[in-house]
Amino acid sequence: MADVIDSMLDLMRRLPPTRTEENVQALVNICPDDADELLQSVDQPLQVMVDRATGREYLACDYNRDGESYRSPWSNEYDPPIDDGAVPSSKMRKIEIQANEAFDTYREMYYEGGVSSVFLWDPEDPSGGSNFAGVVVLKKTMTPTSVYEPAGSWDSIHVFETAERGRQAHYKLTSTVMLQLITRKGTEGEVKLPAEKKGLENSKRDGEVSLSGSMTRQSEQDWPLHDSSSHISNIGRMIEEMEIKMRNLLQEVYFGKTRDIVYDLRSVDDLEKARRQKELQKELVGSFTKRPPTESRKSG
Amino acid sequence: MDDSSMEANDRIRAAANFLLQSPPGEINDVLNDIRNIISDDDLLQEGIQPALREYNIEQFTVVDVPDTNHQSIISEAAREGDSLESEERFLDPRSKISFLFDHLSLEASDPVPFEPDETHEPYRSALEAASLSYLKAHFTDGVTSVFSPKDGSSRYVIQIVANKYNPTNFWAGRWRSEYIVDLTSNRVSGKMLINIHYYEQGNVQLATSHTVSFDIPPAVVSASPNTAASKILALIEGEEGKYQISLSDTYQEMGEKTFKGLRRALPLTRQKLDWDKVMGYKLGAELSGSKPAFPNS
Repeated sequence: MADVIDSMLDLMRRLPPTRTEENVQALVNICPDDADELLQSVDQPLQVMVDRATGREYLACDYNRDGESYRSPWSNEYDPPIDDGAVPSSKMRKIEIQANEAFDTYREMYYEGGVSSVFLWDPEDPSGGSNFAGVVVLKKTMTPTSVYEPAGSWDSIHVFETAERGRQAHYKLTSTVMLQLITRKGTEGEVKLPAEKKGLENSKRDGEVSLSGSMTRQSEQDWPLHDSSSHISNIGRMIEEMEIKMRNLLQEVYFGKTRDIVYDLRSVDDLEKARRQKELQKELVGSFTKRPPTESRKSG
Repeated sequence: MDDSSMEANDRIRAAANFLLQSPPGEINDVLNDIRNIISDDDLLQEGIQPALREYNIEQFTVVDVPDTNHQSIISEAAREGDSLESEERFLDPRSKISFLFDHLSLEASDPVPFEPDETHEPYRSALEAASLSYLKAHFTDGVTSVFSPKDGSSRYVIQIVANKYNPTNFWAGRWRSEYIVDLTSNRVSGKMLINIHYYEQGNVQLATSHTVSFDIPPAVVSASPNTAASKILALIEGEEGKYQISLSDTYQEMGEKTFKGLRRALPLTRQKLDWDKVMGYKLGAELSGSKPAFPNS
């Protein structure tokens, strides 16, 4: 039989992405022994926290967690406070500050709101030199102010590793996007057209459409190193490219596919009519191709 | 021991909760995952039955009706009123056969003919005939069942389900609709539910629910069962068609407005970021420290 963790991951790939947190929690309760591996393998929606020192919002995820506390990228402080929480080395922290500022600009340009955070960690092996790793997380939520306004959320998690090779660096990027779009429509929300008057008497309509998804992609690239900030701009370009690609995939391929499947289930056009039409056409074509021999027989 | 039995109950509850979230056509995959995770088949086999039953009834699971060449729908409306829970029987009004249903193997057994309610049967079978031809016109793999009123009411129930499972191409879909035709209030109230799962290198799901209700026009109320039934189905056809088209508009809106509101495809400048510049600004700001933002001017 397959590993329990494989079954958990298969299950998470099948169950609705909108209920990831609840389902991961249930799995953790059933198999506490596999909790760590599961939490490392399944990306969950990011939580927005407020930095107590600066009042700025940041994102909480497994990567800035120490016990029950989360580290803010702005003040470098843990919330709730802990004494010996893991923090990056001062050299790494300097790059982390720069990276947070750069991705804050990126966030504003693409998300026009939302929250971003970057967390870096020092190389585990000291002989690894300056090969560090990190995560860039972005989140935006649209909260409707009335029932018929659209709602939605975008969460992206980009984990990267760097490996310096002389004047170049090799980057490995794993990106996950979690997306949810909800639209509610009802009789009150509908635009009443005069042409609709001949419609049904006393009719009422109400509905909700929820489109949600999560996907993960990987990419590996080499980029030149010019100075200490090169890593950030290199990773920035890779993440930008990846987010563009994944956003496009979700909108054009994934969402488009779900719409096509609806049309596979039900046809707007009358299939019977189409079938009859086809048969009629076949008959017509048949009668044309049959005619010459019939005529030749007649004339002969 | 009390502690371990509590835990067993919790595990069954969690398993049942997973099962009820199964995308169309994937219940066996979900069940296999759960079996491996719970790793207690005896506990599961016994405990999961209510969830399987709930899933089948809720999802309008289709069953091959014994001794016929058609399928019928397992649902609350299809439950035979006075059957015992342990020997629960379901009705196929089309063949007038009742049967036992295995919620795991999805097979029917012990078919027994039943006598339909004579007063309702003409109207029911008229709705059924109209529903079958509606099905043929708009669904490729659809099944419909039409039920006579229960418990002295005058509420006929039309159910439709269409499934398409394509695991090789990582997708599955289900369309369910149900209409209550109430001949006392002369009103039709219905709902349409769509669930789509596309999981090729990802997990994308569409879940929609849409309710509709309308009065049955007086001319239809007074018509013969056959005429009334085809008029009612024509109205339903109109509603479902309109809904499907509005769904396309919703997709368009989501793509153009909601998606863009969350994350733009490109910045307002219509260009990707100039990362050297982004870094330059930040570096410049850092070097200048707390000095004013325009050090050179």
